[in-house]
Amino acid sequence: MKYVILGAGAAGITAARTLRKGRKEDSILIISTDDRVHSRCMLHKYLSHERDEKELNFVPEDFFCENNIEWMPGCTAVKLDTSSKELVLDNGQQISYDKLLIATGAESFIPPVGKLREASNVFGLRHLRDARAIDKKAEVSSKIAIIGSGLVGLDAACGLMEQGKQVTVIEMADQILPIQLDEKGAKEYQKRFENAGCRFYLGRKAQDTLCDEKGEVTRLLLDNGEEIPCDMVIVAAGVRPGTVGMDGEGIRIDRGIQVDKYLQTDVLGVYAAGDVTGLSGIWPNAMKQGETAALNMMGSEVAYTDTFAVKNTINFFGLASLCVGVIKPEEKDVVIAREDARNYKRILLRDGKVAGVLLQGDISHAGIWQYLIKNQIPIASIEKDIFELNFSDFYGIQENGEFVWKVS
Amino acid sequence: MRRIIIDASKCDGCKNCSLACMQAHRKDTGTLYDLNLLDTDNESRNFIYKNRTGGYTPIFCRHCDQPECVMSCMSGALTKDPESGHVCYDEKKCGSCFMCVMNCPYGVLKPDDKTGMHIIKCDFCKDAGGEPSCVKACPKEAIYIEEV
Repeated sequence: MKYVILGAGAAGITAARTLRKGRKEDSILIISTDDRVHSRCMLHKYLSHERDEKELNFVPEDFFCENNIEWMPGCTAVKLDTSSKELVLDNGQQISYDKLLIATGAESFIPPVGKLREASNVFGLRHLRDARAIDKKAEVSSKIAIIGSGLVGLDAACGLMEQGKQVTVIEMADQILPIQLDEKGAKEYQKRFENAGCRFYLGRKAQDTLCDEKGEVTRLLLDNGEEIPCDMVIVAAGVRPGTVGMDGEGIRIDRGIQVDKYLQTDVLGVYAAGDVTGLSGIWPNAMKQGETAALNMMGSEVAYTDTFAVKNTINFFGLASLCVGVIKPEEKDVVIAREDARNYKRILLRDGKVAGVLLQGDISHAGIWQYLIKNQIPIASIEKDIFELNFSDFYGIQENGEFVWKVS
Repeated sequence: MRRIIIDASKCDGCKNCSLACMQAHRKDTGTLYDLNLLDTDNESRNFIYKNRTGGYTPIFCRHCDQPECVMSCMSGALTKDPESGHVCYDEKKCGSCFMCVMNCPYGVLKPDDKTGMHIIKCDFCKDAGGEPSCVKACPKEAIYIEEV
């Protein structure tokens, strides 16, 4: 049996590890555009020069050798023929497979604004190759404009400010981190970024670009007519599944590659996991999908059930936040908030159950909240300050010593 | 693998386990009698909660068979050791994203109070011979080691 995996990110690597655990003898090949295994969540540490390329690796250096996994780094599959079970790579090589996992991740979305798509000094921040290009350009740049103030945009801002760059962030919403935080939580971070020298344009859209003769954007034009001078632009306006070349016969591509609950595409033996499916865009879910797909590739029937993906953690300037579930309250929702000098905590209740949690400052022991929200655990009968809930309120233990949630 | 088994009914909340944990992982040297309980370098990695029925609930890392923390780690800092079965944490690799804190279904994990850049995680006292200090310190046998 020959297993081929496209992509060496969270899903691809986890799948390979899972396959090797279950199949000692079979051949496993990873083909990845990435020439190094790296954690996308740590690219800002590369931009700030806190870590080098090697230190972005999230597997041991001898991972491929140790697990007897063949790896073709720096290669991209450009064509998938599902009837002959063959891939064509960008170097012309043909690769056959018995079972295939598409875990090609996603690509930065560059909106069709002015010359953003054509200009040579506009970058996304998604891959190590993006970070390398940004880092190189940063050597000759002092003013950097960032479009988007989500986690990627602010990661980029952090890394580049660390390098002494003048950073301006443009955000369409009226607050930064609009998906993750409420206004109050966002303000705390905004303050810290501004103290570090970052400038924000909130509630503003980049509408056009002004370029020089080299084809570089020198000014971003905002929707209120203001101009932002810049030597480089980083676009952090979301991603699109990396489906290029994957449109082999029978593969359904909508927003991402469509899969059933076993993460199999419409083609028998071809699976997809991670961001390329469009199911979710966060690391833990990509790992789980990689594991689930691999188990099914080996003949199990394991459904991917842990689909809850509205969760994130944030850590900038030593201030940690955790946000799970609904952030924006609707009518009839009950919001309970509490704060002190170092903490802001907010719980959103819907129909008597916790629907959303936002913790800023101390996030100790906060793991229970995801479980409470994801599984819609009723808490009304627990007579206790809601902020004081902990696992002792749901404590159960199994014979093998593992904990289990006990819900009355 | 070897796991610390918990018999919560026997726990009387003396917190000798927490003290032993702090002593085992303290950065400076000395005896239990001069252990600085306020020094955030000496945080305990196990927790005793007073529960709603008036008793105590020991919350110790289970080194789960399917560890959710490992499945959320984007830096490779958290790994499940295939031999010991323990969930190991490499502070140097940690990217301080705290996804693991969010993903532990039992709320065991927390960022460290000292730097806010690492997590507090049971290491089965691997640097003290691999025999958990908490177990040795428990006068009630509320926690004990078992091969599972």
